[in-house]
Amino acid sequence: MKKISKLLLAISFVLSITSSAFAVTVVSWGGAYTNSQKLGYGDPAAKKLGIPVNWVDYSGGLSEITAQKEAGAITWDIIDVYAMDTINGCDEGLFVEFDFDKDFGPGSDGVKASDDFFAPMPSKCAVGNILYTWNYAYNTDKIGSKKPKTIKDFFNTKKFPGKRGIYKSALSNLEIALAADGIKPGKGGAKIYQALNTEKGVARAMNKIKALCEDPKGGCVFWSGGAKPPELLVSGEVVMSTGWNGRFFNAQMDGAPLAQVWDGQGLDYQYMVMVKGGPNVASGDAMKVLKEMMSTEGLAGSAKHIAYAPFRKSSLAVIKAGEPWYKDGKTNMLPEMPSAKANTKNYFLVDPLYWADNGTELGEKWEAMKAGLK
Amino acid sequence: MNTDTKQILTSDGIPLEKSLKKAERVNKIKAFLLVAPLLLFLIITYISPIGDMLTRSVDDKMITNMLPKTFKAMEKWDGQELPPEEVFASFLSDYKILIEAQTQGKLTQRLNKEKNGFNSILKKLKRKMTSFEEGNTKEQTMLVHKRFADVSYWRAIKRTAPPYSIAKYLKAVDMITDENGNMVKVEENRRIYVKLWIRTLEVAFFVTLFCFLMGYPIAHLLATIPMKYSNLLMICVLLPFWTSLLVRTASWMIILQQQGVLNDFFVLIGLVSDDNRPEMMYNKIGTYVAMSQILLPFMVLPLYSVMKTISPSLVRAGKSLGGTPFTTFWKVYFPLTASGIGAGSLLVFILAVGYYITPELVGGASGTLISNNIAYHMKQTLDWSFASAMGLMLLVGVMAIYWIYNKLVGIDNIKLG
Repeated sequence: MKKISKLLLAISFVLSITSSAFAVTVVSWGGAYTNSQKLGYGDPAAKKLGIPVNWVDYSGGLSEITAQKEAGAITWDIIDVYAMDTINGCDEGLFVEFDFDKDFGPGSDGVKASDDFFAPMPSKCAVGNILYTWNYAYNTDKIGSKKPKTIKDFFNTKKFPGKRGIYKSALSNLEIALAADGIKPGKGGAKIYQALNTEKGVARAMNKIKALCEDPKGGCVFWSGGAKPPELLVSGEVVMSTGWNGRFFNAQMDGAPLAQVWDGQGLDYQYMVMVKGGPNVASGDAMKVLKEMMSTEGLAGSAKHIAYAPFRKSSLAVIKAGEPWYKDGKTNMLPEMPSAKANTKNYFLVDPLYWADNGTELGEKWEAMKAGLK
Repeated sequence: MNTDTKQILTSDGIPLEKSLKKAERVNKIKAFLLVAPLLLFLIITYISPIGDMLTRSVDDKMITNMLPKTFKAMEKWDGQELPPEEVFASFLSDYKILIEAQTQGKLTQRLNKEKNGFNSILKKLKRKMTSFEEGNTKEQTMLVHKRFADVSYWRAIKRTAPPYSIAKYLKAVDMITDENGNMVKVEENRRIYVKLWIRTLEVAFFVTLFCFLMGYPIAHLLATIPMKYSNLLMICVLLPFWTSLLVRTASWMIILQQQGVLNDFFVLIGLVSDDNRPEMMYNKIGTYVAMSQILLPFMVLPLYSVMKTISPSLVRAGKSLGGTPFTTFWKVYFPLTASGIGAGSLLVFILAVGYYITPELVGGASGTLISNNIAYHMKQTLDWSFASAMGLMLLVGVMAIYWIYNKLVGIDNIKLG
């Protein structure tokens, strides 16, 4: 009996190793977002293709994949990345360059891929995944009688005293600082990036953030994980916080007393890349999985679980036809998305080329500013 | 007496010294073989990665090999005005070779780290240079983007010429080499590192002090009360030690935050008003409190084991010789515990100097330390040579502290029990 059980243990151990070696590894940001991806397009794709898909969490940036490449032991196949990381990673030769129309099928309406994805890709290595936004939210129970409505209210500590939650890096913070300081983003925020391309503009943005953080009636708490802003708001630690709209939406659906403000939102795209030399890339399994996940049905499926807009026009059409689309069967998704008409009166488009160019220096100035805060 | 100057011989006729050495050699080899696996382990996991970090922090060969003609042409350029036509032409030809080998992306990334803005202009140059005419590359390149007419960009390229450079070490102390080769301080709004080094040392020092002030009485109590009580209290010291670091830090976040347990209690007993709650989290206070609690066992345990060896009769003897309690403590007890204090303080200080997770979670902006910045460069900017340089500086700093300690107190005077 003992021998048989030992043998069984050994066999199951071997099986688990080998089967996980064949599973395509997709790396994403964790929490509600990864959950939406898994349920929306990961599991359906795995089922349809018969290829198991394994999900791993990370916190952004190219450090882990660079380390894997240097060590010669790449374990990741597909990564969900920021736009500027697709540019930098493609330059460094980390990611596979796609032959777009060949690698990704046409939309369900027959339109070829490069026309179906509603914006051009920032690099040859990227395939559009979702459109999300950097906006802010407040706790309706703790805000008092007046409600914040604009991006200027985020910085108005007289009318709304209390701490604010802001992202730990300069990305998105410089833009909203200028938007609140009088440079109206309008439709796209071109004026904001024009100002940020000058030394004076950057200094102006940094000083505005510094003033907010050092204000005795204000103060900043820096968040890095997407799940933190709803947490900070619910616990009352901050009175307002920037964050990713989908996370706020999911918290609201779970019952949190949050309300989102869309004025001055920063629309940003999220992309998928495929790692050169990933364990399942040579066999083509990774590409099959990616293609299935980025198909019309796949992308539409992810919107059932989180309020991020799919990159394909055909997916948006599928959602529109199928409203209410949310998994509870009661909520309409299109109005909750960053791209909804009601939400896009005053917005800027996060410029990945600007950040790919200037990220390092701005990062240093930002860290210096943070280090100098009282 | 008959002073025997003859050598002592063994029964085989070999001098005793030689025979002794031979016997000892076998023992030494045996001892070495016993230690060899550990030595190998240390070399593989410790010394060679550190050596790799050292080479990485000064190694800049990649770009030196990528732009050979450019750097040769730049040798004659003094860096004051825009470089001559020859430099532009060599740069273009080097760049063309890189594009054909598809490695131009790495050059872009490296130069962009040296000076922001290279990313977009090099990409634009790649597109436009296919339609360049022969000769007159300087003018055509400057037309591609106005940054190519900015001499500071060409100086940045020249700065990356040497295959080995200490530029990263200079950066870690907020310095840079200017166009004349002098080492000057970086612009005011980019000076971070000196501030962080000082803050790290300051926090480590105060955490050590707090741990000492709190740990000494605890250790004394544990060492002097009867065994059954001291075992119980020892569990109180050790249990948090066995809890995950992350769990303890997260608990502090809940307790100390503005709407947290402690503040709610203060408001309840009327110590502070509801809208004037003190901020104890996401700042230096949070770092101090959390780090002191987490590092406390490292101070208590060495002190306890040393105090356990001090016989209570010594203190009684001191008192019987006429000493007041304070004098007895200061002149008899305290010096005997000095070795334990040394061990505990050194341990806590060295750990505190390199601490990462706790300041990251509870430090906010004013409580983050140098290790957080090293992690930032590892993860976000991917400037691994810079992170290596800072890591090495930290290591050397800690070794320097150890050496100073050895000179002052003597490392043999440390006892862990």
